[in-house]
Amino acid sequence: MDNLQIGRHISGQFNEDLERVINNVMHMGGLVEKQLSDALASVEQVDVELAKQVLSNDYQVNAYEVSIDDECTRIIAKRQPAAGDLRLIMAIVKTIADLERIGDEAEKIARVTLENFSSSQKDLLVNLDNLGRRVLEFLQASLDAFTRMDCDTAIKIHQMDDKINREYEALIRQLMTYMMEDPRSIPQVMTVIWSARALERIGDRCQNICEYIIYFVKGKVVRHTTAEEMKNL
Amino acid sequence: MISIIPKALATGSDPSFSKKLDLNNLAPEQIALNINELNLYYGKKQALNNITMSIPKGQVTAFIGPSGCGKSTLLRCINRMNDLVDDCHISGEINLHGNNIYDKHVDVAELRRKVGMVFQRPNPFPKTIYENVVYGLRIMGENNRRRLDDAAEKSLRSAALWNEVKDRLHESALGLSGGQQQRLVIARAIAIQPEVLLLDEPTSALDPISTLVIEELINDLKKQFTVVIVTHNMQQAARVSDQTAFMYMGDLIEYSDTNTLFTTPLKKKTEDYITGRYG
Repeated sequence: MDNLQIGRHISGQFNEDLERVINNVMHMGGLVEKQLSDALASVEQVDVELAKQVLSNDYQVNAYEVSIDDECTRIIAKRQPAAGDLRLIMAIVKTIADLERIGDEAEKIARVTLENFSSSQKDLLVNLDNLGRRVLEFLQASLDAFTRMDCDTAIKIHQMDDKINREYEALIRQLMTYMMEDPRSIPQVMTVIWSARALERIGDRCQNICEYIIYFVKGKVVRHTTAEEMKNL
Repeated sequence: MISIIPKALATGSDPSFSKKLDLNNLAPEQIALNINELNLYYGKKQALNNITMSIPKGQVTAFIGPSGCGKSTLLRCINRMNDLVDDCHISGEINLHGNNIYDKHVDVAELRRKVGMVFQRPNPFPKTIYENVVYGLRIMGENNRRRLDDAAEKSLRSAALWNEVKDRLHESALGLSGGQQQRLVIARAIAIQPEVLLLDEPTSALDPISTLVIEELINDLKKQFTVVIVTHNMQQAARVSDQTAFMYMGDLIEYSDTNTLFTTPLKKKTEDYITGRYG
């Protein structure tokens, strides 16, 4: 957090405001990470209780988003942040929107556990494990980079989304063969596909968070750029 | 803000909000003032260190920086107000249309006709509103009543003051409010049709509403004049100017378009100053 240099404002009140917001973003990130890992664990272990817990905890994520958003609006109104402070606030506002959506995706994944899969079909869910683990890793790395506002790491892990996309496509192909082999399994396979899709979307949102980190640190907008252009930062 | 516009967008319609000038590569016809290696000393103390910058025509350029950084000194150099200070000497050039204003043959009164100035505190003459506005024209020998009336109305309209004073043009200017007086002084400065208008903290003695009126006025004025403004109020610089120069201890630290300077300054000193951190 050192390169944020928040503590150096002449206005101590401004320092406190920013620190409070950042702490809340950290808490929100931690909560979302837990929601995703719980959702994945509930699928893996077919733990209905854990899945219900994920569903009931989503409101906390939403509450964090609303309150951080609110506080950022107040800071803009009262402090008119400029330069790095302004980019930080913008990065936070966008990051929490993505975190909130990741929370929603985690909720979708947890719902799969509540569906009635027959024991023969439970094997289908195993397919999500690998992708799930990789996405969780990406989320953890992104939040870690955000905490430290580490631009180099953000640029490096930005590419993790490509792997996730490839894995997602492979998984879809595999699930399609299941459907062709046994059309009766289509409803269940579709459920798994929706979860895989949710995981893939989480990857995209983690990638967004990396882009906000780069924006904060470098002041450059790297959305919709190629990997080649990213290298030249 | 530095952004890499995606190729698909770059070829089609342009979604960007602002166009910025390349301040290092202005075409000669875009430049109003060209300051070149300007050094200024008050006695032995150097107050400006080797300032080089081009101020574009028809735009608002703001100088910001902490007290004592030299921003007012630099502004005052542009119409040679520092000539009045004992023990002040200057090297380097300031070119107005390619002519160095510090050249030996320059008539300072003529220079100040081209480069008008407005100060922090409104300083109307103890005369009527009308006489204040036409003062410069009278000095220049204009006595035709109709031309003076026209000039007075036009200047007062440009200064967004006409509607408030049109029924009392021949009352004392000292009866106006602070904000009105400041607009009157601006009207007086623009009555003689200068090319450049220098504003030295024009709103620091005014209330927030008068400040907004003046800021709105500055935005209108740049259609006719090149405006250079010194301000302590950073948000004001951000609101009114097209270019901003940040100065510190007599050095020009960073000079770029205002949008860039307030979102992604390149120098750490600039960042620290505009975000209110310890220098």
